[in-house]
Parts: sequence; C-alpha cells; structure tokens
Amino acid sequence: MIVSWNQLTDYVRLDMPVEALTERLALTGLNHESTEDVGGDLAIDLEVTSNRSDCLGQIGVAREISVLYGKPLRLPAASPRTAGEPVEAFAAVSVEAADLCPRFTARAMTGVKVGESPWWMRKRLETLGVRPVSNVVDVTNYVMFECGQPLHAYDLDKLEGRRLVVRKARPGEKLTAINGKEYDLRPEMLVIADAARPVGLAGVMGGLDTEIGPGTTNVLIEAARFDPMSVRKTSRALGLFSPSSFRFERPLDPEVADWASRRTAELILELCPGAVLHPGVIDVASPTAPREPIVLRLAQIPRVLGIEVDPVEVRRILEALGLRVLDETDRAIKVAPPTWRADLEREIDLIEEVARIHGYEKIVEDRPIPVASAPRGRRERVESAVRDALTAQGLDEAVTFSLVEDALAAPVTAEGADAPPLRVSHSSRRRENALRRSLVPSLLAVRRHNESYGVADARIFEIADVYIPREDGALPDEPARLAIAAGGEFLGLKGVVETLLRRLLIVEPLSARPAGLPLFAAGRAAELWLGDVRLGWMGEVDAEVARKFELRNACSAAELDLGLLLEKARTIAQYSPLPSYPAVVRDLSLVLDRSVTWAELEAVVRENAGGSFREAHYLDTFRGGNLGDQKQSVHFAMTFRRDDRTLTGEEVDEAVKAVVEACSRKLGATLRA
Amino acid sequence: MSTTGSLETALLELDELQAGAVRTFEAAASPDEVEAARVEYLGQKQGRLKAAQERLRSLPNEVKKAYGQRFNGVKQALEAAFDSARARVERRAVAAGGIDVTLPGIAPRLGHRHPLAQTADELIDIFGRFGFAVARGPEVEDVRHNFDALNIPPVHPARDPLDNFYLSDGTMLRSQTSTIQVRVMESQPPPVRVVAIGRVYRPDTVDATHSFMFHQIEGLMVDEGVTMGHLKSILRLFAKSYLGEDVQIRFRPSFFPFTEPSVEVDMLWHGGRRWVEMGGAGMVDPNVFKAVGYDPERVTGFAFGLGIERLCMRRHGIDDIRLLYQNDVRFLDQF
Repeated sequence: MIVSWNQLTDYVRLDMPVEALTERLALTGLNHESTEDVGGDLAIDLEVTSNRSDCLGQIGVAREISVLYGKPLRLPAASPRTAGEPVEAFAAVSVEAADLCPRFTARAMTGVKVGESPWWMRKRLETLGVRPVSNVVDVTNYVMFECGQPLHAYDLDKLEGRRLVVRKARPGEKLTAINGKEYDLRPEMLVIADAARPVGLAGVMGGLDTEIGPGTTNVLIEAARFDPMSVRKTSRALGLFSPSSFRFERPLDPEVADWASRRTAELILELCPGAVLHPGVIDVASPTAPREPIVLRLAQIPRVLGIEVDPVEVRRILEALGLRVLDETDRAIKVAPPTWRADLEREIDLIEEVARIHGYEKIVEDRPIPVASAPRGRRERVESAVRDALTAQGLDEAVTFSLVEDALAAPVTAEGADAPPLRVSHSSRRRENALRRSLVPSLLAVRRHNESYGVADARIFEIADVYIPREDGALPDEPARLAIAAGGEFLGLKGVVETLLRRLLIVEPLSARPAGLPLFAAGRAAELWLGDVRLGWMGEVDAEVARKFELRNACSAAELDLGLLLEKARTIAQYSPLPSYPAVVRDLSLVLDRSVTWAELEAVVRENAGGSFREAHYLDTFRGGNLGDQKQSVHFAMTFRRDDRTLTGEEVDEAVKAVVEACSRKLGATLRA
Repeated sequence: MSTTGSLETALLELDELQAGAVRTFEAAASPDEVEAARVEYLGQKQGRLKAAQERLRSLPNEVKKAYGQRFNGVKQALEAAFDSARARVERRAVAAGGIDVTLPGIAPRLGHRHPLAQTADELIDIFGRFGFAVARGPEVEDVRHNFDALNIPPVHPARDPLDNFYLSDGTMLRSQTSTIQVRVMESQPPPVRVVAIGRVYRPDTVDATHSFMFHQIEGLMVDEGVTMGHLKSILRLFAKSYLGEDVQIRFRPSFFPFTEPSVEVDMLWHGGRRWVEMGGAGMVDPNVFKAVGYDPERVTGFAFGLGIERLCMRRHGIDDIRLLYQNDVRFLDQF
C-alpha cells in the first residue's frame, strides 16, 4: 500500500521528518517497506496486515497518524451540488444475488466531457504508481486509493436498457474486460450485467464495451460491496487480480460506499465544470445486523500485557481510534467500534489496540519465569546418538524433500508398492506431488547429484518421516525412518548398521534374512530384525535401478525403523565386570557346503562348545582352489573363558573337538586339511 | 714484560679461542663444516688448541700452573661444542633418510550433521534450559488442527487452495507447526511449556530465500498469569543465549489469527544498525483456548515461532536456501 506524503497532508498535519513517521508507523502496525522520491512527493510503501483493510486507503493511514500524534483528522465533506432530474430518470438497478452483494449504489451524471486530468491529479496518481487514463477514470482510482472503496464508472449510454443487474453469470457468457482480454464466465461468478449481457466482473474488473471513452458524456457511478469469498474465487479462477479485487477480498467499511460515491461525483464536477450530478442515489442494500458493543474490563489489560495502562490513556486511545464510549465504570469501558474497523469485535481486540498505540516498548522484559524441568526427550537423545554414530563413521547427514516425483515415492518393500502414494494437488507441483514412502530413493538422487559434481562416493544418511496411506480414512501413518546410502558392498554397510546398534547399546541380536526387494539386486538384499521385530531392510542397489537413477557407481542402502531404535536403544550404559581370568582363542577352518550360512554355523558352534564358550568370531571364507564349486572353507575364531579359574588346554581341546563333531554331524563339515 | 702481564695476555687469548671455537661449532650446519671446524680447532697437527698448548712451554714456570688449569677448561669446552655440533648434524642426516614430518596426516573422515539439524539442536537445547520440552506432530494434518482450532475461519484467505498443499481427501500438509500446539493442548491440561519442531509446507515459488518445504520451531507456554511480559522476557533470554549478551529485542504489531496481540520480533545485536526480523509471536487467542477446551478466563499463554532455515542461513552466512536441500557433500563438509 503506497501513500503519498503530499496527499496525507490534506488530512493530517505532518510536522515530523518522514523517517520518524515511518519508524513510528512500523512500530504501531504499518511496516515500512520503502520511501521513494517521486518528483517532489514521497511515495511511502507500507505493509498492511490482512486484518487492517481500513488502512488500504490514504485516509486510513492518516487516521493512524492522527491517533499516534494526537492531531486532528480533516476529511473532505463530499457533498457535491446536484441539479436536474433525479437519478431514477436515467438508470435502474436490480440486485438478484443479494447474498453476494449486500449493497449497491449508483449515481448518474450527464454532460461530462472526458479528457485529460489536471496536473495535480496526474501527479498524485503517479506517486501512487497508477497510470493516469482520463479525468473520470482517474477520479474513480483516486477515490479508491483515498478511502479504500473501489468504484466503477460506466458509459451510461452504452448500458443496454440503461439498467444494471447484479446476478450470477449464465452458462456460456463471456466478457471482455477493460484489460482487453476475453474471459469465459462460470455460473458461480458474480457479474454486473445490463439488460442484455455482463458488463463487469463484480468487484474484479469492468467490461471493455461500457468503459468510459473519449465520446462518453453520461456516466453511471457504481459504489458497491460484494462478498469477499465470491470476489476472491472469481479473481483466482480467472487469474485476474486488480487493486479492486484486492480490496473487495477484505472486509470493507459498510458505510463508506456512499461517501465514496459522493466524493467521486464531487471530483468529477471539479474536473469537468460543465457536468451535472443528478439528485439522489439508487441504493440497494440488505439490512445489516447492528454490531455488538464491546466491553473492555480494565483488569484484563495487565492480565494479558503484564503492565498497567492508565484508564485515562486507555479511553484516549480507544476514542482516538474512532470507538464510541457507551458506558464507563472504574472497572470497565463499553464501546461501539467504528464501521471501518471490522476487525474489532472482542475484548482481546481492544487490548491489542491499547497495547500497540501505548507502545510495545513499554512491555517489560525482565519477568522471572518459574523453573521447570525439561530434560532432553528420548527421541532427541537417541537421534543425537544416531547422528554421532553415523558421522563418526564418516557419513554426512542429508535433508531431502518429502514431496517427490513418482520415481522417488515407492516403498522399499514390494508390500503396498502397487497402491498409489498420497498426493497433493497444486499447480506448482505437477510432477513432484507424491508423499514418499521410503527415504532411500531420495538418497540415491543425492548420490547422483554428488557424482555429477565429482564426489563419487557420497556416504549419507537422513532421518525423516515417510507417509503410508491408511484404509480407514484416518490420517496416514508417518513412521520415522533412518536411511543410509553408501558406496560399496553389502557387508560394509551392514557393519555401519552394526556399529550404530552397538552405539545405541541395543542388546537384542541383529539378524539378517535374505529378502527379495524391488530396489535391491537379487541375492544381495536382506530384511534386518532385532530379536523378533523387523528393523528394516538393506541391500546392494540393483543395476537396473541404478541405471534409472543415472548412478555411475555401485551403491548400498538401508532403511531402518527409527521408532524401533528409539524403543530398543538404551541411553544409559550398564557396567559389566572385566574378566579376571584369561581367555583362550582357537581358530578353526571348516569345509562346508556353500549353502550353509554363517548364522547356521555359528548356532551349531554356540550350542555345542560347552559352558566356557564365549563367542565365535568370523574371520573369512575361502572358495575355489581344490574345494570345487560346491564347497567353501569358513575360517573363524572361538573364544573360551571361565569366570572362576583359568582354563586348561585339555578342556579347550575337548570343547573344540565337540564343536568339530557337531558341525560334522549337523552340517556335514570337515576340518580343512 | 712482567710475568703477570704475559699471563694475562695468554689467558685472554685462551678466552678468545674458546669463544671463537664455540661460535664456529654452533654455526656449522653440515658434517663437512663440523669436520672443518674440528680440524681448525682440535686438529692434532695444526689445530689452534694444539698451538695454545704449545704456548705453555714459552711461559715462565710460576704461571704455568694457572695457564694449564685454564687451558684444560677451554679444551673441555671445545670438545663439548664439537660433540654437540656433531650430534646435531647427525640427527639431521638420520631425518633425511626418515619420514617427511611435514606431510599431512592420514585423517579418518568425520561425517557432518546437517546444518539444519545443528541449528534445530541448538534451539532445542536453549529452550530446554528454559523448561520447554520438545513436542512433535503429524505432517499430514486435518483442517481442524491446521485452521479451525487456530481461529482461522473457513472464509479466511489463508485456507486458499493456492496457498496450501491439500490432499485429495481434504487433509493437507501442515502449513505451520502451530498444529502441534493444538495437539499438545488437546492432550493435556495446563500448564504447558513446549517447543514444537518440524517440517512445514507452503507452495511458495522456490528461489534463493523460499522453499516449498522448510522447518519451524514454535514455543508455547500456558498457565495462570502468563503475560506478554513473560513472552518478551523469554525471547530476550533466547536472544542472549543465541546471539550473545549485547542484544536488544523489540516487538512490532502484526497479525496472526491464532494470537492476539500478535507481534513480529526484531533483534539487534553486536552494535548492529539494522533490526533483523527473527520471527512472529503473540498471546494465544482466546478462541484457540476455547477450541482445545481450555478456559480463557483462567489461563493465558504465549506462542512464538522461528524459521529454522532463516536462523541457520544467518548463522552460517548461507545465501541460498536451496543449498540446504541439495546435500552436496562439498557443502555439508563445511559444517
């Protein structure tokens, strides 16, 4: 909203430097965007919040200044002289859609000579950034920017039947607006029509056919109110935005329409001395409910603001803002709000007015706050431990978008992959409109980005929610996930996960079960389980998937259920005593069928190695050589220890012998020669 | 020449010999130079020490003892200087066949927490010290939590489909973390002291300062007797913790449907000239209390919201918000 310094001085005396004024306005609710010198005038751009439509005109801003500086506000009387036959002799108005048009006024003028506006008018409009058109049009613009009420002037002789009808558009109707563009109208759009056709989009823009032109002599002045939602919908549906629609989308002063109409006529008379304003006004208005008075209990001021404000000051502020005091006791003030402040309805609205005019700088900032315990929550602690464990292993944390294109929206598993993801509908996201069900594809895209900038092996992780639609109409499930993507092979990434679990002090054993998953290569993917609960998935990314993602380098990825990690993680470590007696370590190399997994072998070892067995540590697997293509040799170390004494060599020999026998019996293992 | 005089001269010459020799040995930088110095001073045939020893013979008997004693001291000093010089140049010779200690170390690579996560963590930490516990909530929300309960009526422009991400079933991606405030108040009686944190979504055109997804942190404190003074006090404490002691704070009137009075919070620090807008705040609107079943005649409360991206970018001098979501390792590596 641009205001002109020179024009403001018409309404209120300005004897302060402009910087002081804009600072004061900013601190009381009209944020200062910029001040620009426009040929001797100052164009001051102020940000008006959506609740303050009263400040969408110069007069509204002048009123704020008059309140802030305690100066009188001078408003034009807007009482033009009239002559000739009454308005009804020239025009008629009918409002068919009264729900969308609570008020419509029309005045008629004849003998108008359309021409260029005088210098002062063009100068004023120039400051406001408005292009001068002709005296009549300039006046309607000038008055809109003066009081916030949009106006429209029609060439009366071009109105079919010399009548206006406020109605909804009929199917198939079109309108060429004054911007020269033709619009297809929809039946829900409110139009101003004459006897034959639409001549304006109510509140948005007038029509080209009936606009004021060089040959216009008779003029109809419209000043109306329209339903804000209706104006907004029409404006957005057509992509047609105007200073008029901007104002009509907001609550306007219901009383200002008539003043604005008179003011327009007054200025046209001033600019066209030969013109005649005909007596009377066509004013079609629905009755409006009177506004309720508001009671401000004085004790509520310190209760909300934390400071006392002198009741005399409270009353001064309210009255200066245009509120009428209806009643006053030493505990409360009852007031009626002015018509231009639709936003003042409740006690709290008045407290805010008192606060902003009294000054927020007077609010104290040294109030003691009672102590309260707010230890870091479990989620924050565990997330922090996850970040520690992964960054210590050299991984960087990523933050990627939750709204993705379809290629990035698929879940990790085949379960539910056929069902569509949740989608948003918005013109700005026609492609990237799906809510992702896995983080892994986004991380693959991050790896591709890094590859293209010369970082071949971006090792990254992300903590974020995924969005799983639900059948029952409830809000979707949003499980938090931890995903990791790194170069290289399965076991390298599995080691990262194992280290993470150790850092989280998780005692449940991690197990991996072979799995077929769409993202991962056959035979190189697994489900991960903690005890009997599924933790997530991991694998080496399938070559075809990698091609789709344009990845040049091999990649492994994992996605884990962060909720399960939160549940199973221990945030406080418990000490276990250090062993008092030495351990004995024995290596074994067993030749086994290739189908035997380490998990199977380890289980047999553990069950048969006796009470002093502590752990089996995998070393490596050898395939090939003279073993043939069915066999493998698995090399591992077993640790034995007792807590009450030192083991003897014979005892350990016995245990190893038992292990070898059991492996031979159950797994067909032989000792490697 | 008196006996005494000739002794004095001889002793002076011994002193000069010692001083010159020590200087020469200390200056020797290579094995060759040390050897040359050794030959000059300690050489068995032409060495200057040898010459000094021979001078003993030419001195009168009564001063021989005094000269001899001083000579022995000088001899020891020269031998020590020689040993030290030799050891020094030999160490260097060893080093030449050893490692280049000025080479860079073999450094394990540390990963990096995302700068947004670091910023969020710092904020959670600061507000935790003020007694605010962390709260979270769903990102896909119903309009009740995103609008109705926040005093945003059905006709309000903020609900426009152009300005929000609606899903086909009428739910939406939350446009603000205030939804979490509502959920917290619905689930517990007052008093409340939480910070809500998370991702929010608005269909802004993406540019250097706008993203359609970003992160917010919002504080909420509700109790009997909570005033705007408490709000200002908490925000000043926050400003001091986050920006340093030398910081000022001011409120400018603003408008949010869910708070009244509503303000923008500006901060000025380190003697800066320009007030910087840090976020929005206000007193919880009585209609919000009614929507969650709190009695606005009994409790009051304040809420404030800060954009994590903005704080993060300002903190680290990042001039393009898009860098935060590209996850270029060359970028992440800087934090």
